[in-house]
Amino acid sequence: MRVSSNLVPNMLADLQQTQSQLNVALQEVSTGKDVSVPSDNPGASADMVANTIETGQVDKYTQNVSGILSMVQTADSSLGTVVNSLTQAVSLGTQGSNGTTNSSNQQALANQVQSILSTVVAQANSSYQGAYLFGGTATTTAPYTADSSSSTGYTYNGNNNTNSVAVGDQNSVQVNLPGDQIFSNSSNSVIGSLSSLVSALQSGNTSQIESATTSVNSALNYVSTQRVFYGNAETQLNSQDTYLQQETVNLSSQQTSLVGISEAQAATDLSSAETANSAAMAAAAKVLPNTLLNYLSTPTS
Amino acid sequence: MGGLSTALSIGLQALEATQGALDATSNNISNDKTPGYTREVVQFTSNQLTQSGDTVSGGGVSLNNLQSIRDELLNLQIQNQNSLQGSADTQSSSLQQIQSYFTSNGQDIASALTAFSGSLTTLSASPSSASAQTGVLDSGENLAKSFNTTAQGLAGAQSSADSQVTQTVSQINTITAQIASLNGQLSQLQTTGQSGGTVQDQRDQLVQQLSTLTGISVTQTESGETITTGNGTPLVMGSQSFSLQTATGTDGMQHVLDSSGTDITTAIQGGQLGGAIQIRDQVVPGLMTQLNTLATQLGNAFNAAQAQGYDSNGNVGQNFFTVPATGSAAGISVAITDPSLVAASSDGTAGSNGNVANLSAALTTDLPSGQTAAGAYAGLVYQVGTQASNASSQSSAISQSLLQLTNQQNSVSGVNIDEETTNLIQYQTAYQAAARIVSTIQQLDSTTINMIS
Repeated sequence: MRVSSNLVPNMLADLQQTQSQLNVALQEVSTGKDVSVPSDNPGASADMVANTIETGQVDKYTQNVSGILSMVQTADSSLGTVVNSLTQAVSLGTQGSNGTTNSSNQQALANQVQSILSTVVAQANSSYQGAYLFGGTATTTAPYTADSSSSTGYTYNGNNNTNSVAVGDQNSVQVNLPGDQIFSNSSNSVIGSLSSLVSALQSGNTSQIESATTSVNSALNYVSTQRVFYGNAETQLNSQDTYLQQETVNLSSQQTSLVGISEAQAATDLSSAETANSAAMAAAAKVLPNTLLNYLSTPTS
Repeated sequence: MGGLSTALSIGLQALEATQGALDATSNNISNDKTPGYTREVVQFTSNQLTQSGDTVSGGGVSLNNLQSIRDELLNLQIQNQNSLQGSADTQSSSLQQIQSYFTSNGQDIASALTAFSGSLTTLSASPSSASAQTGVLDSGENLAKSFNTTAQGLAGAQSSADSQVTQTVSQINTITAQIASLNGQLSQLQTTGQSGGTVQDQRDQLVQQLSTLTGISVTQTESGETITTGNGTPLVMGSQSFSLQTATGTDGMQHVLDSSGTDITTAIQGGQLGGAIQIRDQVVPGLMTQLNTLATQLGNAFNAAQAQGYDSNGNVGQNFFTVPATGSAAGISVAITDPSLVAASSDGTAGSNGNVANLSAALTTDLPSGQTAAGAYAGLVYQVGTQASNASSQSSAISQSLLQLTNQQNSVSGVNIDEETTNLIQYQTAYQAAARIVSTIQQLDSTTINMIS
């Protein structure tokens, strides 16, 4: 068979191929990815859409968890203050119902309980980043305001709705209890019982003081059980935080396996592509200028 | 006549024939790098020697013909591969352009969708915060813009394919006119008995160029080559060429008409023209339809979720996106400008986040298409990626096969310098020998003349 002496097309094809391998290897090393455009690996590129969205979500869930955790902790510590105040009120009530306490002392006790009531209402009106914690979903108006027409002296302005905040794709955490459930519940009203204790101490009626003190005590127990909700929410948020951290690691390793490249592999690829390219160029330089003419002596005249 | 003058004339013929061979060799070497040049081989024929008694007459050598060495079958195969490559290259370059809009770069739909979902998650934790509401509004606007940009990218690829159709048709017309004129020259040369190798080389070269522009079918007839498109529309018949035309169709795109005005757009396959039509009429519209469906369904689902809740002012949520009835991906925009109109609340109070879950669900649950927004978009990315990857691997596979065919063609028709050099030496020797015959006869003549004096 006649052999073509025109080596240019083959050489050119080889040079182009090694050059393009070199480009690919260089890009992989410089970006750390072996998928830069969808055509590099359509399947991995499609999977990366879900990975990108999920990574973004996990990031936001993590922010939510830490934000809500502070909010729940604030609410929990408010309720802690309320529990302490109520404990104090119970002991003041017990002191007031003691037969040895005279009327003026009872008035002083009434003033103390009144100030405890103010403290409790202040806690019920506590807010986190400008949003009231115990107004249900009505977070922009103070949950309790003084109201002389009300038997307890205070009116609840909130609603009895709750918010659940997304902390995972299928996971949301209820973050609040409505204030009327905690502080002005019909059976165990914190504000109502304190307010009755104030009136009883003011009236000096021992049996009324005793019964009011009992109500305050049962309100104290009730608030303590309500507080468990916030404790549970904290636990749930902390464990979700751990889960999200793990999820971040998982998503990142999924990303690496989809579009990433191992440094060692990339470096080796680059170096072998370089060698192949140099070899192709050296071969071209050596072979292309060669013809029979190189070996014939020039005709002498 | 016989004797010395016969020998002299034989020697002279040898000198002439060898000169012709040297000319051919020189021409081959000169055209070593001329594209499309087919090497020419001299064909010597020995003349009839007539012997009558002691007298020999006639004889000698004549240069019968210069034959161009070509393989028509290889040429046909190369034309086919050229058409395939033209089509694959055109599609590949358009798809490279298209896929840049589907590449994760911070501006693409996936990134915008991520930011939009994220802003809703943030809103879930602080539904009454103005910054969280503004975050939803801004990232919603970005999502709408990323749909707009992607749709514009697709439309851009479509319109450049459209202008390529017009340009390619005009190139085809130029080339077919040239081929027809060369056909005419060739048939004239052949009637005068000349080989016309160079004209044939030029024509072959033009036919190869034509085959990269569109799929063609070539048949040899008495009046030269007849060239038709793949579906049989005549382009060249002998010395006559038939121009294709373009006209704006009802779809606003350039349609290809044959010389009698019939629309042959859908019948055109292969070559740059076929590739551009494939991109313009199949690939881009297919992707655009899916993108529009996604934009419409996502926009509507989110608007429906808005309507289930209340904004910060306690009013029922209004439409968040404006979704045009046609061209929704290119035209989708955010309808509201006031961040407080994001309907986060389920009970009308500003602090409620009860409807955020519905808003998020519009992005994460199945749309009427049966896929989530992310799933539908991932499907688009997969399609674009697969098409781009197929077109480019097809193109490199055809390059390989074209390289093989070109090598084969070179080994048949190409000039081999070593071979020509060897021929040169051979003809040099032959010329020297013929010259020696002439000089020997001259000496003999002198001897004979001296005998007389």
